[in-house]
Amino acid sequence: MKKYLFAMILSLSTVACLPAYVAVEPGNINYDGLIIKTGQAWNLAPPAATPSARKGSKVWTQDGILLDRIMIIPAVPDGESLFVTTSKDQALPVFKADMLPNEIEELTESSLVKLFKEGEVVVQTSNLRPHRFGEHNGLLFDMNVAVSDGPNYRGITGAVIEDKKLYLIFFLGAEPYYYEKHIDEALVIIKGARV
Amino acid sequence: MRHPLQIGLSLLLFACGAMVAAEFDIEPRIPPGYQPIDADTEKSIWIELDDYERELRNSALLVKDKEINQYVNNAACRVAGDYCNDLRIYIIRNPYFNASMTANGVLQVWTGLLVRVSSEDELAAILGHELAHYTQLHTLERMRSLKNSMSTGAIFDLGLAVLTGVSVPVGQFAAVLNLLAFSRDQEQEADLLGLRFMAEAGYDPSAAVRVWKTVIDEEKNAAVKSLEPGIFSKTHPGADERVKILESLIQKEYTDIRPDPAGQRKHVDMLNRYYMMLMEDQLDTNRYGRTEAILLTHQAIGVDSNMVNYFRGEMYRQRNLDGDLDKARNSYKLATRGDRPVADAYRNLGYIHLKERRLPEAKHYFRKFLEVQPDADDRAMIEFYLQEQQP
Repeated sequence: MKKYLFAMILSLSTVACLPAYVAVEPGNINYDGLIIKTGQAWNLAPPAATPSARKGSKVWTQDGILLDRIMIIPAVPDGESLFVTTSKDQALPVFKADMLPNEIEELTESSLVKLFKEGEVVVQTSNLRPHRFGEHNGLLFDMNVAVSDGPNYRGITGAVIEDKKLYLIFFLGAEPYYYEKHIDEALVIIKGARV
Repeated sequence: MRHPLQIGLSLLLFACGAMVAAEFDIEPRIPPGYQPIDADTEKSIWIELDDYERELRNSALLVKDKEINQYVNNAACRVAGDYCNDLRIYIIRNPYFNASMTANGVLQVWTGLLVRVSSEDELAAILGHELAHYTQLHTLERMRSLKNSMSTGAIFDLGLAVLTGVSVPVGQFAAVLNLLAFSRDQEQEADLLGLRFMAEAGYDPSAAVRVWKTVIDEEKNAAVKSLEPGIFSKTHPGADERVKILESLIQKEYTDIRPDPAGQRKHVDMLNRYYMMLMEDQLDTNRYGRTEAILLTHQAIGVDSNMVNYFRGEMYRQRNLDGDLDKARNSYKLATRGDRPVADAYRNLGYIHLKERRLPEAKHYFRKFLEVQPDADDRAMIEFYLQEQQP
């Protein structure tokens, strides 16, 4: 009996320690000046599940972050990177307030290479195009991410610079199913973002 | 009078040379067509390696293009001779300098290696070295030792990943190397036998020395060492010493073999064909010191100068230190010379002028870009700037 009790306590304590996903209800959400409108509920990943996310960044998912994710990176100041790392080897690129659209595209590409682990991923971006986020000119581009031992991902990034800060959102979905499943809603969220 | 240190070094080199000469009668330990014979350990390692190979075959990073595979396959088969049928070659899209061979004949070549060697002879030097690890059962010995000491599959998988470089983050790669590093004797044996394999195949053995010098030079060029770690240099330490030993052996045994210019041309042709893919991956590493060193080599061996200048411009523009934008502008202009301008150089000249708020010049270059590449996938972005009235 004691053995079962111990197992039960251990199981409960394990469950209690697991980081929890929190529901994001449909509606307008303001993350550090970046206003996002979602028409459906999403799951907000706990920080423990996304250790590379910088403070203030959020990761949403429908089916799990390995299958689909929307990453929201608000208000990156000049001189800081899109992600964080404890490794001195990573050489993370940093945002500069005077960056042009092609440089934001390169910054994202290079940062994703580091995020997915260097040498294990090829990130390709394409179709850089202008997009108006409310009253502000911004940009959109498409992405393909091939990883050494995982699915291929496809996605889209939207970004805008306002008051010398970068506001960036990207969606990545595993091809073909999860990309197709969530791309329409992701496009609504990304294209409809406002600062 | 000679300095005592000089005398000591001379004696050391003499001793090394004597040791090399004595040990050069190394013979491959396994015959061509070798199959595992030790039922308990060796066969099980092969089975796991076969599983791993199946995963590798499906890797999204596998380069499947026929011509690049043909080039590497031909060089590997020429070096391997009768062992050719034992090899399966996989080119992996990874911008770092590495190659590896498993005990069951899976030979991996990373694209970062192809970018850094200057000729087919230099490629053959690396392939010969890896083949020697295979014929001397070095990899099998390492894996057997690991399997005996650790029973969990996870650890074995990690060991396999370290041996091959696939699926291991760069940081972890270095951290677990001590666990599995080839011994100094194994490395020297692979150096010497590899040299013999390449020489017997008619390749210039001095290419092995040039490869090591390239590794050493690139390390020196790493702008910030902690931010630009190498991989091959970590897995193959003591490059300076090995250069000396190889040079001594070549002077003794291989004075009559010279580089074949056709081998360099073949390599340069391959680089020209795949340059955009290879160098874009290198640029994504953000390791500008290394990129600069690689571009210098490419310029020296005759890679398409427009492409080399374009990537030099990319490197300067992305590094963006004081004066780099001017250097980038000059490099891009050089990349647009002649009858085969690099279209992207026009576009980036446009962006540089836009950054300097010189809209008419920016528009001039954007128009040139669209003339040369009317179907550009970022046409909408360029047209947006062409319509702008104010910078």
